[in-house]
Amino acid sequence: MTTTRRKFIQGAAAVGGGAAFAVGYTHTGEALVKGLLKGTSGKQTHSTLYGNAPEPEFSVDPASGELTLNPKQQVALTMCLGCNTMCGVRVRYEKDSERILRVAGNPYHPLSADPHIPYATPLKEALVSLSGYQGKGLAGRATACGRGAAVQQEVTSPYRVLSPLKRVGPRGSGQWEPIAFEQLIKEVVEGGDLFGEGAVEGLRAIRDLKTPLDPDNPEYGPKANRLAVIEAGGAGRSDFVKRFTFNSFGTRNYASHGSYCGFAMRAGSGAAMGDLKKYAHGKPDFSRCEFAIFIGSAPGNAGKPFKRQGRLLATARSTGELDYVVIDPAINNASSMAAADRNRWIPITPGTDSAFAMAMIRWILDNERYDANFLAQPGPQAAQAAGEAQWSNATHLVIVDENHPRKGHFLRASDLGWPVTEAPAVGKESPAQAKARKAKEAQEGTLDPFVVLATTGGKPRPHTGPGAATLFFEGALDTPNGPLAVKTSLQLLKDEAHRHSLEDYAEICGIPQRTIEQLARKFTSHGKKAAVDTHGGTMASNGFYNAFAILTLNNLVGNYNWKGGMSAGGGQFPAFGPGPRYNLKKFKGMVKPKGVFLSRSRFPYEKTSEFKRRKAAGENPYPTKAPWYPFSPPLLTEFLTSHFNGYPYSLQALISFRTNPLYAQAGLRGAVEDKLKDPKALPLFVAIDGFINETNAYADYIVPDSVMYETWGWIGIWSGYLTKASTARWPVLEPAQDKYQGEPINAELFFIEVAKKMGLPGFGDHAIADSEGHSYPLHRPQDYYLRAAANVAYAGTPVADIDDDELAISGVGRIMGDISKTLKPEETRKVAYVYARGGRFEDASRAYTGKRLTHAYKKHHLNIYNEKVGTSRSSVTGKRFTGTPTYVPQVFADGTPLEEAYPKSQWPLLLVSYKSNLQSSYSIINPRLTQVHGYNPVGINTQDAQKFGIKPGDLIRVTTPGGSVVATALVREGIAPGAVAMEYGFGHTELGARAHQIGDRRQPDSGGILGAGVNINDVGLADPKREGVSTLGDWVVGSAARTALPAKVEKI
Amino acid sequence: MSPHIIETLNITREPAWLPWAVQYFFLIGISLSAVFMTLPAFLMDKPKYEKIGRLALLTAVSCGLAAVVALLADLHQPARFWHFYAHFTPWSWMSWGSLLLPVFLTLLLVYAWLVYRADLGRLADRTQSVLSPVYRRLALGNRPERWLVRPLAVLVTLAALAIALYTGMEVMVVKARPLWHTPFLPSMYLFTGLVGATGVCLLLNRLIGDADPGVERTLNRFLLIALGLLMLNGALWLASALTGLSDPARRALAAMSGNTEWWTVAAWAGLSAIVPFVIAWLKPQGTGLITGLIAIHSAWMFRWTVFINGQMLPKTGSGLYPYHLPTGAEGLLGILGTFGLWVLIIVLLSVLLPWNGRPGPAEHAARR
Amino acid sequence: MTQSRREFLKNIGKLTAGAVTGVAAMPASAGPERHGGDPAKRWAMVLDLRKCIGCQACTVSCSMENQPPLGQFRTIVSQYEVENVDQPHKPVEVFMLPRLCNHCDNPPCIPVCPVQATYQQEDGVVLIDNERCVGCGYCVQACPYDARFINKETNTADKCTFCYHRVSVGLLPACVESCVGGARIFGDLRDPQSEVSRLIDTHDTKVLRPEMGTQPHNFYIGLDGRFVSKVQGRPPLWEIRDAEGEELEAL
Ligand SMILES: Nc1nc2c(c(=O)[nH]1)N[C@H]1C(S)=C(S)[C@@H](COP(=O)(O)OP(=O)(O)OC[C@H]3O[C@@H](n4cnc5c(=O)[nH]c(N)nc54)[C@H](O)[C@@H]3O)O[C@H]1N2
Ligand SMILES: Nc1nc2c(c(=O)[nH]1)N[C@H]1C(S)=C(S)[C@@H](COP(=O)(O)OP(=O)(O)OC[C@H]3O[C@@H](n4cnc5c(=O)[nH]c(N)nc54)[C@H](O)[C@@H]3O)O[C@H]1N2
Ligand code: SF4
Ligand code: SF4
Ligand code: SF4
Ligand code: SF4
Ligand code: SF4
Ligand SMILES: [Mo]
Repeated sequence: MTTTRRKFIQGAAAVGGGAAFAVGYTHTGEALVKGLLKGTSGKQTHSTLYGNAPEPEFSVDPASGELTLNPKQQVALTMCLGCNTMCGVRVRYEKDSERILRVAGNPYHPLSADPHIPYATPLKEALVSLSGYQGKGLAGRATACGRGAAVQQEVTSPYRVLSPLKRVGPRGSGQWEPIAFEQLIKEVVEGGDLFGEGAVEGLRAIRDLKTPLDPDNPEYGPKANRLAVIEAGGAGRSDFVKRFTFNSFGTRNYASHGSYCGFAMRAGSGAAMGDLKKYAHGKPDFSRCEFAIFIGSAPGNAGKPFKRQGRLLATARSTGELDYVVIDPAINNASSMAAADRNRWIPITPGTDSAFAMAMIRWILDNERYDANFLAQPGPQAAQAAGEAQWSNATHLVIVDENHPRKGHFLRASDLGWPVTEAPAVGKESPAQAKARKAKEAQEGTLDPFVVLATTGGKPRPHTGPGAATLFFEGALDTPNGPLAVKTSLQLLKDEAHRHSLEDYAEICGIPQRTIEQLARKFTSHGKKAAVDTHGGTMASNGFYNAFAILTLNNLVGNYNWKGGMSAGGGQFPAFGPGPRYNLKKFKGMVKPKGVFLSRSRFPYEKTSEFKRRKAAGENPYPTKAPWYPFSPPLLTEFLTSHFNGYPYSLQALISFRTNPLYAQAGLRGAVEDKLKDPKALPLFVAIDGFINETNAYADYIVPDSVMYETWGWIGIWSGYLTKASTARWPVLEPAQDKYQGEPINAELFFIEVAKKMGLPGFGDHAIADSEGHSYPLHRPQDYYLRAAANVAYAGTPVADIDDDELAISGVGRIMGDISKTLKPEETRKVAYVYARGGRFEDASRAYTGKRLTHAYKKHHLNIYNEKVGTSRSSVTGKRFTGTPTYVPQVFADGTPLEEAYPKSQWPLLLVSYKSNLQSSYSIINPRLTQVHGYNPVGINTQDAQKFGIKPGDLIRVTTPGGSVVATALVREGIAPGAVAMEYGFGHTELGARAHQIGDRRQPDSGGILGAGVNINDVGLADPKREGVSTLGDWVVGSAARTALPAKVEKI
Repeated sequence: MSPHIIETLNITREPAWLPWAVQYFFLIGISLSAVFMTLPAFLMDKPKYEKIGRLALLTAVSCGLAAVVALLADLHQPARFWHFYAHFTPWSWMSWGSLLLPVFLTLLLVYAWLVYRADLGRLADRTQSVLSPVYRRLALGNRPERWLVRPLAVLVTLAALAIALYTGMEVMVVKARPLWHTPFLPSMYLFTGLVGATGVCLLLNRLIGDADPGVERTLNRFLLIALGLLMLNGALWLASALTGLSDPARRALAAMSGNTEWWTVAAWAGLSAIVPFVIAWLKPQGTGLITGLIAIHSAWMFRWTVFINGQMLPKTGSGLYPYHLPTGAEGLLGILGTFGLWVLIIVLLSVLLPWNGRPGPAEHAARR
Repeated sequence: MTQSRREFLKNIGKLTAGAVTGVAAMPASAGPERHGGDPAKRWAMVLDLRKCIGCQACTVSCSMENQPPLGQFRTIVSQYEVENVDQPHKPVEVFMLPRLCNHCDNPPCIPVCPVQATYQQEDGVVLIDNERCVGCGYCVQACPYDARFINKETNTADKCTFCYHRVSVGLLPACVESCVGGARIFGDLRDPQSEVSRLIDTHDTKVLRPEMGTQPHNFYIGLDGRFVSKVQGRPPLWEIRDAEGEELEAL
């Protein structure tokens, strides 16, 4: 080697080496310098030992138990909105910065503590009860769940909407400009050429309460019905929204998310509990139940109330008495190996729950394992005499004569020509009381009694009065009009159950016959301390009958209102009613909305002009373009598709509030997304929300809303609790969004200002009346909610007054100015007392009265045969529905089995979803939660995986007739063979997954991570048997079909 | 394999010892092993080994210097290195290391200086550059007292042994890592260190030395022995694992067994010992560059496997933690940086110092 | 139960017993003196797995309270799907396993620390002085439970402190306060009346990895033998993808 060459190489090596060194060690160099200058190469923490953990909010002397508060921090009790459970929580924040430090549970609240502490407990004592002092805080634990602990991040989320937004550019383009609130109100109310795309009708023009929107079909109601207001619902603010929608604006079209939440269950439950108005539902009394079957509900994994059920289940299976099974296509956290002797998972073929339940029913009836003492009591007096806590219509006779005009109805006293009498009033009663009594009598049949057969002699008799009646009968009864074929309800159920053999049922649902028999025996071996529970897993196209069949099992063991049995909940202290202090229900000029809901619900098709027209024209009035739902509430699932199909009619404007159907309703995105992009197809879309989600991304305007702990509200508990409770939502923090005339802009302010601008009743001056007839204004949300609080505080025995000490430490001081400005002097301290405790709660000790539940379900009696169901018809087939539970396969709206259109040979699998135990449908936006679990690989059974050549971790394409997504395969044994399972809560395309441009600010780019995973609803189905756009729903009640979707998978 | 248990939710832990640690243990292992290779020449005064001794000395010094820098970088708080001395902790091997390392390096530098001293003097005389006063000063006078080299050789050897002991023990005592917690580990370090040191010498012989075929043959024979020891050691570990004699070894093997990724790495490591062994055996001459490179690679791979793959084994959870070599300072850049530093040191030393006892380039320049 | 499994469980049982009761029998390894804390107490946790619903309220509450960097955890509830090996025809089961620092009585993480930045209090709580810590990661290696990590923000070792900042003022750890199932029970082992003492007295408790001789002070009720040491199972799927199958960077 020449010297020069050598030198060159050496030089190059030196330079290269030196450069590499310099680059590689820059980091170290920086760390060194930073370390030398600042003492650490990283970030300094508050404490050398505890890092950035904040100072404790208070301390408790270990010897004396004395409490010392940290003056720099505040703990306040309000409501969580991490999921739709709405627990009471304690929010701890720094007073100076209003930075939330941590959220845990409210010890007074039954959803957060078990048992919750007595309501009269002084606040200070309540805090001590959470501490380590004498181990109190262990039993006294008041918790927030993982989500609840994380969702505080929504308050400061960079994706929050803080100003009124108006879209620039096409719908859904993600470009917005912040506008003044006045401008928003003006444009929304007055309309005009708002986007340079042509004239848009404003709310003022839409609100026409006189002109029929469709002269050919006057029953559809006035033109005002062309506004729909939709919301998730149930966050303690719905009454306000309904006040505006129904009674002030006067449109019929308000709907909440119920129809894609769990309405199949609510409808099935309503049918079994005899309540198809409010759709009563119950939950097992976990603490005292001895055997429970969870089928299509997953307490502890999801379930309402999530935390309380989880806690109760955990206790019951370890130190309590509970033994249980979980029947589910996918195993989840509702079961636990550590308590293996107390619980078991039983896989079921998706969508076949009615087969399983009918098998159970058949076995129980055939083997006479039902609670005969309960079922045989035909009425309240008999039940009382027999020591039962409820009664049922098992013995009531149903007219089964095909030709009888009242076929399917119960045989009544009048049918037999018996004199019909009205029960006398008890004491003096007001007209309202008299009306209520008569309604009750009508419901219970006391006005025209049901007919039953006496056990001895078999003679017909009214259901009223003491004495049991005959359970099984089929035959003819003599009536003034000749013999009439009748059956008892229980006979009808038995006949229905006998339509298939146990073998067949077992084959259909994939649960061995022996297992079914064992379960049936076990279920009927615990007296009234056995219960069956269901919920979201029934959301299939046959969901109504799945739920009806499952929940009828409870009726067979007569467990309602018993300790260890089923509870319909403890009730609430009403806030928004015609309360003891203020009437928030009624107001001057209140509109009574008229017409047919956009979703064609709660209105029999047979009463429509269309029916009459078609009938008159001599044509077959069936099928209709889309199903009518005779006993469903307004169905959000049907709103948008009905609008776009124009059947029964179309909207002019949509206001959505805190809801996200495009993400949450199976198949809706596929059905309407393109149409939503077109302003001509839906002229005005205003959204009120804290965030931009998959639905309101297509809005024209977004009204910023308070989130989490910044809002007002009042709500009861959904179910699964035994004592009365009302949870308060109040702004424990200053709302972060823009203000209008000093008030934070939010949903309520929007409705108030719109109403005032339009001069609608119920808002503005003199909008609220008190019990003495004085009137008060409604200019701010507080005007309404604080009066609701007064109603709660004064319900029954009024609560105590708050003392100065508690006022000082509760954080209520923040709203005390509002309270005293708004309320009467005598009310202020009571209302403050209620807010200081995060609501009003009856003591846990009131749960039981002897062996019974204190708060019994008494409003209706239990149904073995539901008359309303049995006498209603499908508007598609014209056929009557079955009034008892029955087995139905997965079907389209016209009753055709899904399998005919989507044969197994092509669609070998059934796709189900289950709720994430961590995420709710929007919680992905909270990084402290999402860091724990931010992705949902798709579960597939080991054998199926083998069959399709899929290995763990493979990329797979999951396809349904509704579309396809790509996911990672989680090959496991915990999925029923034949099922594929997607965890719900992932696969977002908004809520931070996409960065929007707002004026000159661009939202941060999450790198797509907030959009990780897949959403089953993106591959949800349409109903090909329907005209126009549609989503597959339950064929009877119209709830969303989001489980048991035909699917196939392939490796990619 | 149908697992009976599927982990559906867990968290990962990132390695606390970054690739920097691999570099440190790699370089220090080579450095201390190279010290041993200087002994025939400078302790036993065997002129036959003079060339190898000098190559080894250059290796020891350059690697030793680069090693400390890598070690510093592996500290997440490098500026706090003085805490080691402020809070000496006799029961911690790492604390001992913090004492031993400067001792070793100092002795090594003195040793090298003593070896080079005579040459430095000569250099100072002959060079007519700015450097000559520096050389003169470095030579500390003109009378090279070569006798001091031997006691220093003994001392530095002792220090090297201490470093070998501490680096071996530091890792071996970690009971929590079955792959580390084995008596075979310190010797494995030593043998791979020897392999690496021989490899570096082979490389330097070619690149900056005179590519002496005799030296190459001797070094390849050296390599044969080192690799033999390494494979024997490895085999013994494997045997202890398979027979269950050593519980940690058994557990380590069990933990890795289900994993194809791991077996690829293991096979690679095995091959990178066998291949140079075979080459060095069959053709000890003319292959120095290849055997040298593979040997270096082998020594590096071993440490990479032990440290990085070792830390990918969850201590309680299933399978492996995912690890993707970061491209930044905590990964690739760091690795390249260390090698860069080492190259820089080698170049500087070889250019500026009379490392091989013959006139350096500086002299050449002066002579012209 | 198979013979070998029974043997195994028996051994585990013995080991556990040994680990818990054999404080005196174990040769105290060299290490720093305990200092700080209340010598009259010995804090410990009982984890009643029968009550754990895997809700991760503990995980998130800990993260909220202690504010480690996103993606780094002081506690987690590992979750498993487990086949019934003894009765293969039975369906699988779900197993939740809360993990956190065990505040071992013989903590291997402490003696390795070259600067004595991590130490044990008299009441058993193992802490780290993040101003002395040099971030060498040695303790992270030494902990047999993967309980420690190098905090990406502070560049020092981090782990569960038993929320000593709360415990020392009479409160409960954040994870315990918010444990929905009531599975985490915290208290003083030296107090025979405490709930932890009572549970340990009346239940068959196990500790994790007793074979490591660490004498952990988290005692598990309902811990299946297969989960005592390193779990031999299929690992979670770590990659995160969107609905098109594109891989994404985790939080
Ligand atoms: N496949 C499948 N689909 C399902 C389910 C399932 O299990 N599987 N679950 C169903 C159930 S049970 C339900 S209840 C529905 C839920 O579905 P929806 O009720 O329609 O919507 P959510 O996603 O709960 O929340 C609505 C929006 O509220 C906004 N928001 C979040 N926090 C706040 C806040 O603090 N303030 C305000 N103003 N806005 C906020 C967010 O934009 C969020 O998108 O989904 C249903 N869909
Ligand atoms: N963690 C968490 N908890 C929540 C919520 C949340 O978002 N996250 N949301 C709350 C809300 S809004 C609601 S409505 C409740 C709902 O609570 P749940 O009804 O308990 O929950 P889901 O996940 O909707 O459904 C329950 C189970 O049904 C199973 N399933 C699916 N298809 C079928 C089937 O065909 N047959 C049977 N037998 N089972 C089936 C699913 O695998 C799932 O485990 O949860 C509340 N609690
Ligand atoms: S269950 Fe959890 S997220 Fe849902 S409301 Fe309660 S605390 Fe909040
Ligand atoms: S669990 Fe690990 S970190 Fe905690 S004390 Fe034990 S060894 Fe140390
Ligand atoms: S990381 Fe810190 S605490 Fe851990 S051993 Fe090193 S210096 Fe000690
Ligand atoms: S005790 Fe505190 S630091 Fe430890 S896991 Fe629980 S919350 Fe986290
Ligand atoms: S909070 Fe309690 S119940 Fe929930 S996962 Fe943690 S330990 Fe289990
Ligand atoms: Mo829901």
